[in-house]
Amino acid sequence: MTQCAIAAAGLGAVAFGLAMLWSRSLYVGAVCLLAVLLQTALIYMLLGAPLLGLLQVMIYAGAVMVLAVVTIMASGGGPSGERFADFSLPRPLAALGVLAVAVELALTLASTRASAPTPAAAGLSAAFGANLFHAYALATEAVTLLMFLASLAILPDREPS
Amino acid sequence: MSGAVWATSGALFAVGLATVVLRRQMLAMLLGVELMVAAADLALVRGACRFMDPEALAAVAVVLAVAAAEAVVGLSLILRVLRSGRGLDAGELSELRG
Amino acid sequence: MNAAQVPWAAWLLFLAPVSAILIGMFVVRPLKPEWTHLPILASCAVVTVCALLLLQRVLMGGSFDLNFYRWAGVGSWGVDFGLRIDGPGVAVLSMVAVVGSLIHLYAASYMEGDPGFSRFMLVFHLFFLAMIGLLTANNYVQLYLFWELVGAASYLLIGFWYHKESARKAALKAFLTNRVGDFGFLLAILLIIDSFKITHFHLLYFLVARATAAGHAPQFLPAIGLLLIWAACAKSAQFPLYFWLPDAMEGPTPTSALMHAATMVTAGVFLLVRSWPLIAAVPGLPDLVAGIGAFTAVSSAIVAGTRKDLKRILAYSTVSHLGLMMLALGLGRVSVAIFHLIVHGFFKAALFLCAGNVGHAIHQPTANVDEVGGWRKALPWTYVFFVAASLSLAGIFPFGGFFSKDAIVDAAMERGGLFALSGLLISAGSAFYIFRMLFLTFHGERPEQKGLSAHPHESGSGLLAPVGLLALGAVVIGAARPVVETLVAGGWTALPVGIPGYAQTMNLPGSTEIPGVALKALLIGMGMAALGAAAAYALTMVDAGWDWRWRKSSPALERVFDSDFGWKTLVDWFARGVSSLADFVGRVLDKKWWDGAIEGSGRVVQAAGSLFSDAARGRLNEALWWMAAGAALLLALGAAR
Repeated sequence: MTQCAIAAAGLGAVAFGLAMLWSRSLYVGAVCLLAVLLQTALIYMLLGAPLLGLLQVMIYAGAVMVLAVVTIMASGGGPSGERFADFSLPRPLAALGVLAVAVELALTLASTRASAPTPAAAGLSAAFGANLFHAYALATEAVTLLMFLASLAILPDREPS
Repeated sequence: MSGAVWATSGALFAVGLATVVLRRQMLAMLLGVELMVAAADLALVRGACRFMDPEALAAVAVVLAVAAAEAVVGLSLILRVLRSGRGLDAGELSELRG
Repeated sequence: MNAAQVPWAAWLLFLAPVSAILIGMFVVRPLKPEWTHLPILASCAVVTVCALLLLQRVLMGGSFDLNFYRWAGVGSWGVDFGLRIDGPGVAVLSMVAVVGSLIHLYAASYMEGDPGFSRFMLVFHLFFLAMIGLLTANNYVQLYLFWELVGAASYLLIGFWYHKESARKAALKAFLTNRVGDFGFLLAILLIIDSFKITHFHLLYFLVARATAAGHAPQFLPAIGLLLIWAACAKSAQFPLYFWLPDAMEGPTPTSALMHAATMVTAGVFLLVRSWPLIAAVPGLPDLVAGIGAFTAVSSAIVAGTRKDLKRILAYSTVSHLGLMMLALGLGRVSVAIFHLIVHGFFKAALFLCAGNVGHAIHQPTANVDEVGGWRKALPWTYVFFVAASLSLAGIFPFGGFFSKDAIVDAAMERGGLFALSGLLISAGSAFYIFRMLFLTFHGERPEQKGLSAHPHESGSGLLAPVGLLALGAVVIGAARPVVETLVAGGWTALPVGIPGYAQTMNLPGSTEIPGVALKALLIGMGMAALGAAAAYALTMVDAGWDWRWRKSSPALERVFDSDFGWKTLVDWFARGVSSLADFVGRVLDKKWWDGAIEGSGRVVQAAGSLFSDAARGRLNEALWWMAAGAALLLALGAAR
């Protein structure tokens, strides 16, 4: 059962991703990305790391995407111009390059022997939490500081008088 | 079925890469980068659950946070470029100036 | 023997000309150019005395071969400067010294008043110095050095009157033809160095003798021999490279007399004499030399009988006599060849100077048969000297030429076959052309000639005395026969060499005896000469206008003789072909293709650059694409591994 759910969530994520790639409007793109992130959060929970799923939704979907959307609004929603960039090579050829990466990834994955996802024991989450506050305590604090510093990046320029 | 998560992760990464490489608007590129990070996160979590490694999950949490920070920095850069009046078209922004 | 024991005469041999040239060039020429001949004539006198002293020394067994100075060396081989005073060398040296000094004396009067007088005397003496160096060189490289120097002096002197285009062209022709021969010489030297590791004569003689005695001659010896013969053919004007000599008559008469009669052209024969142990060691090469000599001698004797310009008759005569020397050498008679070289020097120089006097009589550098005629009363002294020298040339007993020329004919007769025939033809032919020249110039009144209406006048004593002495030499030189014989006999050794078995391995190639008066030679030689003289008399005196008639009636025949039986036309065609090839290489291959390719390579790079510049436009998406593509490539490579 979980398998089907995971598969369905994966499919959905990929579909929304492609929609984001093809979207004409940046708002639509942002919303599609939001949907992808929610799908991945779902997968996390199904895989047996609920805390992480929660974190994903909170930080990523909640904070980052909001910032992105705000910036999109500030930039005027993006002119309805060309979606895709110009290349010296003809466009299909450029797309082919990216496709090649995808194919390679697929081949790599196919060659590895994947095992069935086992729903994690409850102990995993507890251990995760313990890690966050013991082994990774310093890292967690550092990350907090980092996010604070990152926010300083938004400070505006000193206007030349 | 067993490799569904891996397939999803790979596909999402590819789509994110495509977005970065192919799209013209800077913000769309940023969205693509975020997508790539999310895909990588997914792979990591899958591996962690597979091998029952809680430390890997902790690492994912850190990555998540760092990705958020990076998104903030990227957004602020984009705002700067926007304010300089040169627009956000990657095709136009071909010189490092100012 | 070391440097301190070298006789002072040998040092003076070089010091005198060098100091004369330096003094003449830097002291006298700027101050009083018309006195340039004074230091030079003094040096000539010193050189003659030294040469005769060395001759006496060698006759008493005091020949030597000494290295002085290694100029540049690589391992065991080097470019050495040394001195070789031996029989053949000192014999020719004495002739060169005496004849050369007399011609210098003549030149001082002949060239008087010419604006280039000073330049002439200096270059003339430089040539003299180079000839001395050539005759006393002790190794091939030193000989080559002086060989080239002689060629350079020849170029300068043939083109002396450089405002005349014919003189310039003749000088260039002489130099370039000699260059062709010199190329062969250089190759021969390189092969000698490769085969023997040294170029010194006395060591080479020993090595060659030992190698051939043991049965394994060096692999390149035939090639060396052929190349040396080629070089000698160029310098000594043998077929196929003789055609520069008739044109070299553009130079002033003293030049023609000294260089192109007595000395420079004999350098080729001298080279063969020095190289004789090497050449004689190869079966068939001596016959080749003899064949070339005989062929050249006969054909140029025939052409000489048809020329109208006096100096050109003598030029072809020189070619013919050089052929005789080669013939003698090829038949193995080394002493006879050297003896003829010496005798020829005297009578040919005398003849050339007489021709110079004939020209001088009408204020011209040379004279044509059309401009003279019946001048024996007007130029009595010149006439007498001319007759004496002609008798010597024709080989009439007891004049000097008899002993050398008829000895050659005798050897040819002994050999039989074609050589005998050519010997007879040369005897008759040389008498014919020289008596034709005599009769046409000094005898008879012919309507076709200007005759005495040209108002010739005899030259002064300055121009007559040297000629007289030379003619005297031509007459009495026959007495020097035993001296030359002795000198040449000791020729291949001439040195104290501490190599065991040296003398024993010396197998003198050929014979060194010069036959004395033999009845057979007397009859055959003089008989053919008489035949030739009679024919000349008949065709110039009895039938006075014959010489002009055959030209008018068969101009095609005249063209044949003018082009030396077509050889000159062939050479001309060949030279034109080579020069157009050079033009093609220079203009098309070098300038168009090669330079074009080099510049084109720049254009190729430019094109490639502009091709790739598209990738450097600075477009973000493109850069990202390339990154992705690169990553894909790396992935693929990693997967493939």
